[in-house]
This record gives sequence, structure tokens and C-alpha cells, in this order.
Amino acid sequence: MQRIPLPERPDWRAEAEKLGFTFADMYGEPYWDETSAYSFTLQQVEDDIEDPCTELHAMCREAVAAVLASETLMERMGIPRPHWDLVAANWQAGEPELYGRFDLAYDGEGPAKLLEYNADTPTSLYESASFQWLWFEQQQAARVLPQSADQFNGLHEALVARFAQIFAADTDVHFAAIADAPEDYATVETLAWAAREAGLGAHYTDLDKIGITAAGQFTDSEDQVIGALFKLYPWEDLLRDPFADHLAGAGCRFIEPAWKAILSNKAILPVLWQMFPDHPNLLPAYFRDEAPADLLASRHVIKPIFSREGQSITLYDGKRVLEAATARDYDQHPKIVQAYHALPEFAGMHPVIGAWVVGEACVGMGLREDRSRITQDLSRFKPHFIEG
Amino acid sequence: MKRSRNVALVLLGAAAFGVAGCVEEKTEAAAFDSKESCLAEASPGGWFTAADCETAFAEAQLLHEETAPRYESRELCEQEHGVDACGDQASSGGGGGFFMPMLMGYMIGQALGGGGRVMSQPVVRSAGGGFATPDGSTKIGGLNGGGQIKASAFAKAPVTKGLAPMTKAQVQSRGGFGSSGASRSVGG
Repeated sequence: MQRIPLPERPDWRAEAEKLGFTFADMYGEPYWDETSAYSFTLQQVEDDIEDPCTELHAMCREAVAAVLASETLMERMGIPRPHWDLVAANWQAGEPELYGRFDLAYDGEGPAKLLEYNADTPTSLYESASFQWLWFEQQQAARVLPQSADQFNGLHEALVARFAQIFAADTDVHFAAIADAPEDYATVETLAWAAREAGLGAHYTDLDKIGITAAGQFTDSEDQVIGALFKLYPWEDLLRDPFADHLAGAGCRFIEPAWKAILSNKAILPVLWQMFPDHPNLLPAYFRDEAPADLLASRHVIKPIFSREGQSITLYDGKRVLEAATARDYDQHPKIVQAYHALPEFAGMHPVIGAWVVGEACVGMGLREDRSRITQDLSRFKPHFIEG
Repeated sequence: MKRSRNVALVLLGAAAFGVAGCVEEKTEAAAFDSKESCLAEASPGGWFTAADCETAFAEAQLLHEETAPRYESRELCEQEHGVDACGDQASSGGGGGFFMPMLMGYMIGQALGGGGRVMSQPVVRSAGGGFATPDGSTKIGGLNGGGQIKASAFAKAPVTKGLAPMTKAQVQSRGGFGSSGASRSVGG
């Protein structure tokens, strides 16, 4: 695995602008950064990322079943008790998942280590599925990359196929996101393209414009009934919103399905460690009150069960704070402890691999890197290619 | 090759939204007129077990109730599904009664992606012969047989309870989602 400086495409910013990729720079700092790219061998991609992540997703599904069968574990998941039946029924009905993104620490040598699973609302989909593919094709045409190079990126086709599996042809699917967030909207728009290609109708609504009828059906910003809804909004928040009580009776199919509430929080990491101890792709993880003394005395990371983009994460060496995320919005939630595993360092930057799962298989990869050891929302997106 | 073939997506703010060809994978399937017929064919070594028959039958009943087409009159229902194929239902919320084709049997299918799971889909009678899935997209000649079928035959049809999706409706209140996560980024 290498980080290779490469010439940028001459007018890439103008092209990004034309394509609607308006957040290529964020807060005055580059977000998309093609001054260098990461390279992998095919064997590294297939043996160390693709196959292990497909296996990790299968392990996560087993963990969902185990959690649903245990009241003790269900209590750890932060799911409000009135909605436990909704989640259980959703799993028993076999409601299908669409996508998720594993975040991994990997340096090209040892097994990749699971840091966390964004199984409910992963973003950076546009960059991973489309923009980095465009970079790849154009850099090949410009002979910056050799003809023999490749990229681990089957995201778009996989999403189209999965949508067609989940929904009957011509089904109208709604897509909801929080208003005025361009990065979130880009993920939603990328999914809508795939849904359209799968023969479905795709309709956008701001999340806060969703209404309810007297009969208990959800409606969109145009007052039209919603039969199927993709929501870029976490289950833990949905289940605490005023409309949560309407979920069971609304006759509305949700993507991601409600059982993802069990995977979309970091409490699943101690469960995975309990079920699959010493698995090569897992890091030791415990609920804070069950963490062994020797782990707490050494380098470990404390994470709230609900947090995104590195918020509220603290890295400790024993009792000494080594590094803490600057954003602390999630501080009040229950915590888990995970053994610290250093991210590799390339030219002073620390990359995290985002391995995408569509349906039940790993189909692509998107990398981010940060100067800090904790990947946060200003981390840069880095393209990658496969060689050798 | 590990990469996509055709992903020139443009973020234009609205272009993706507004209605193409899809991949048709096939899977192993069997159709039965009752739970008992399924149980008679099930075996521990086969691709479906007795337990699968039980869960698939229960699932098919639920799906039938949720997704079978509803008609305002017995006539309209029988036009689509044949004489004596329809039953009347008390309405579930607002409005008069309706008629829907009765559950005649179900299909059980091998789930793609392995894991040994089975999918289930209720079937109703089709006027003129044979049976169909609730949205009418897949037709089969008879029950108590098996073979390969397109996996999309098991995709859940839109829910028909209440008003159809995309129908303009009277909204009672709005804004009941979004307040819990309002102040922070939800992407991950």
C-alpha cells in the first residue's frame, strides 16, 4: 500500500463545479484532494478488504439476531423500549438492507481492523461511487495512471441491482434528508440515480416536511403519500422524534430497515468481540463498565455508542488523554471502550479505508485521510487505484 | 475488473429525481397451495426445511394482507382475478369496505447472497387461469411445483392498505421528524 504523489487534472475544480460537486473544498480547506492517491495490489484489495468485509457483514447479521434474543443486550443498544417490537418484527420479516460502510485501519500488511460500521447513514457516496471513478478514467486517458491499473469500485451497478431486488418495478421511492446540507444531498442524489436505473420512481422531500394523515400514513413535501422511504437520518433520532409512534402503522417501507438501529450504534462492537473473540479483523471492545483493567491501563479509545465523524471520541493512554475530537456533541451517551490500533502514517497523514457493502457483499472502497489520528469531518477524500 | 463501467453521474440538484433496465437474477423457487403441501416436500437436506415452510407461510399471510390489490366492487375484483376469487373486507381505517383476491397459495424462494434463508411471496388467482404475485408482475401456471424464477418475483409489492403511494392526501400535521438530530451532521 503506497501513497503516490500525482499531478492533478488541470481543470478538475471547474469540472467539479459543472458536475454539481460543490463541496470539493470545505471551510477553505480541500476536501477532495488528488495531489496524491493511494495504491493497492489486487491481492490486498481482494484478500484484505473485500472478502473480510463481506464476512464482517455476515457476522454483524448474526450479531443482530443475538441482540434481539437478549433483553440485556437490547438494553445496551439505546433503542427506546416502546420500539423494540418494531425493530424485532422488521428483522423477522427479513426486510432487506441497502448499503453500509465499514471504517477500517489497514496498512497493506496485517489484517484490516474494524474501527466502526456506519450501517445506517454512511455518506461520501458520490465521491466513492462516481467522482473517484471519473478521476480514474481521466487519469488513465492522460497516461498518469497505467492502462493496467484498476479501482475497487463496483458501487453504482451494485446499488442498481440491489434496488431492483428490494422493490418491484415502478415502485415509487421517496428520499429524505435534512435540508440545506450539500454533502448529505449528494449521497441521496447518487442513490436516486441508481433507483431510477433500477426502474423505480425517485422523489425527494426535506425530512422536516414529512407529514401524517388522519389514517396514519406519511406524506411528502407535496402532500403525497409515502409508501417507501430512504432516509439519510439516523434510526436513533427517528425513534426519538414525535412521529416515531406512527412508524408501526404507516405501511411505509424504510431504507435502511429498522433493524439497522442495532448495527448503527457502536454497542455492536463489544457484542461482536463477545461473539467472535480474537477474530483477526476485530479489535477488542467492551462496554465501559465491563472493560478489563489491563485494557484501561494501556492505549484505548472511548467512544459514545452514538457518534459520527469522530465526534466525542477520546484516545487515552491509561488515564492520560492523547487526543480528543474537537466536536463533542455526543458526550452524554453511554460509552464503549475499544483497544487502540494506530492508523498507518503516510507523509504525515493517517488514512482510513471506507469499505462499502451493498446488500450483503463488499463492492467498493473510498479512502479518507487526516493529520489527526481521529478521522473527523474535515478529513480529506483520497482517490485510490489498484496496480499489480 | 473491480470497477464500475458507467458511472458518469451528475449532481444537478434535481435531475436524478422526477422515473430504465434492470439486472434479472434467477433463484430456486417452489409454489404451494398450503403450508401442508410445503411441509410434505420439505427435508432437512433440501434447500428448504419444515421450519422454512412455517415462517414462509406466516410471512405470506402478512404480505397478502398488506399488499394484495383492493377493489371498490366485487365485479372489478373478479374481472382481474376470476369468479369466486375475491372476498370482502371491512375497511381498516376511513372509507367504505373493499374487495380483495383471496390468498391461494405462496411461493418460497432461495434468498440470494446465501445464508440459507428463504423468501416468501403470496399468490392470488389470475382471471383466465394461473396465479400471480400481489402486484401482478410475476405469473405462474400452477401450484405445487418448482423451478427457477426471477428473484425480483419476491420483491415486496407496494402496501395497498390505506391510500396508494403518491396519492395526494389531507395532511394533519407536519415536521414530526428531524428535531432529534437537528443540530448536528447526520452523515457518517
